[in-house]
Amino acid sequence: TSSVLSKDKDKSAASKDSTPEGAAKRQEDGAEKRKQQLLDIIGNMKVEVSYRKKLQQLKASENKKQAMNKLEGPDSEGSMPHGITEDTQRGKPLNPELVKAASAVASSLPSNKKQTESELLAQLRRHEETTDKQKKGGIINIRNVISEMTIKRQSPAQRAARISGRISLQLDEDGQRIRRERSSAQSVDSRSLKVGKRLNIFTKASTEPEHALKTVSSPTIWDLEFAKEVAAVTAQPPRNGFEEMIQWTKEGILWEFPIDNEVGMEDDAEFHEHVFLEKHLEGFPKEGPIRHFMELVICGLSKNPYLSVKQKVEHIEWFQKYFEEKKELLQEI
Amino acid sequence: MAAAALCWALRAVRQVLPSPCPRQVRSYYVDWRMLRDVKRRRMAYEYADERLRINALRKNAILPKELQEVADKEIAALPRDSCPVRIRNRCVLTSRPRGVKRRWRLSRIVFRHFADHAQMSGVQRAMW
Repeated sequence: TSSVLSKDKDKSAASKDSTPEGAAKRQEDGAEKRKQQLLDIIGNMKVEVSYRKKLQQLKASENKKQAMNKLEGPDSEGSMPHGITEDTQRGKPLNPELVKAASAVASSLPSNKKQTESELLAQLRRHEETTDKQKKGGIINIRNVISEMTIKRQSPAQRAARISGRISLQLDEDGQRIRRERSSAQSVDSRSLKVGKRLNIFTKASTEPEHALKTVSSPTIWDLEFAKEVAAVTAQPPRNGFEEMIQWTKEGILWEFPIDNEVGMEDDAEFHEHVFLEKHLEGFPKEGPIRHFMELVICGLSKNPYLSVKQKVEHIEWFQKYFEEKKELLQEI
Repeated sequence: MAAAALCWALRAVRQVLPSPCPRQVRSYYVDWRMLRDVKRRRMAYEYADERLRINALRKNAILPKELQEVADKEIAALPRDSCPVRIRNRCVLTSRPRGVKRRWRLSRIVFRHFADHAQMSGVQRAMW
């Protein structure tokens, strides 16, 4: 700006000096000098300075020039207030500084001054309108939408499930392909849809009856079947011997190591219940061959390590029942 | 009777595993004789306890003989396939009734076939 001021002073000094000469000639010189001035300013100014600032500076320089020229000729002064009044009449009150700057630029350009001025002002007005609209709006700010979006990263399990889902050729009863609706919904849920700012794009749908239905019966038959299907599809063939052995152990073909001799045998009874079985002989007669026979049976059972207490008791009860059925026969003897 | 036999045959057909693992699955019995053998084994398992108890009554020196005769009649009344004597240890793969080694449940021909292809663990050609 200092360079501009210095140039103004020089120009004014030069204009002062040349006042007694022809006014037109002076104006032409002034126009040329002003153009040069504009170019110099644009060349010297840094890129950071906005257009408005440039215009303001121009306007400042023009005002000073006009202030100097006021004393000499009132021609240029007349055009200014007319332009301002016209603009204010049109509608929204534009920034008066902007208006002045626009008029200064128009005056500096060689073409028709008033036309360029009006065009510049119209552009300014449009600019103002768009900025106002943006300020009032702001409902759907695209920045909010984009901020929430992140690069989607699939976990290897999800990728495997997706690939296996594509490859699967199993058909339902109706002959339709397997539907992967639930798996896709689960993969979206893992990124937590409900976190972050609300965008207010969609209206909230009523979700109450769905919740009520879900809590009634949790593991339906279809859920179990679907779980089985998923397990069957995702079960890849074993890559090596270890995985094969793991699979066999799960299925029950292979025992678990170290070998547990009492797998499947959950006998909570103490040894005395195995050995001392005389208390079960209360239903039998105390004397006679039957008693003799039953004592032998009990002796044999007490030495048997392979039967559980329950089985032994059942054995004795069977005999009791059998002898009760044959009571009539026995009494004949 | 034919329907019952068909039912038995259907029950004999085992379900194919849903997983895509490449493993041999036996879905049919080799022949009808093998099927009958399977039936006999199942029956024998069902009536094993009863047969044991009734035989204990029979093979007795203490109980009166009348009781033992009644027990004889009872055991004879049981279904014929329930006795374990009727079970024949057939070859598991070919259903051959003779020449079956108990340890491997295979007939001598199948055993030799697998042993020569080194598919029997710990089995070697004898040489001394």
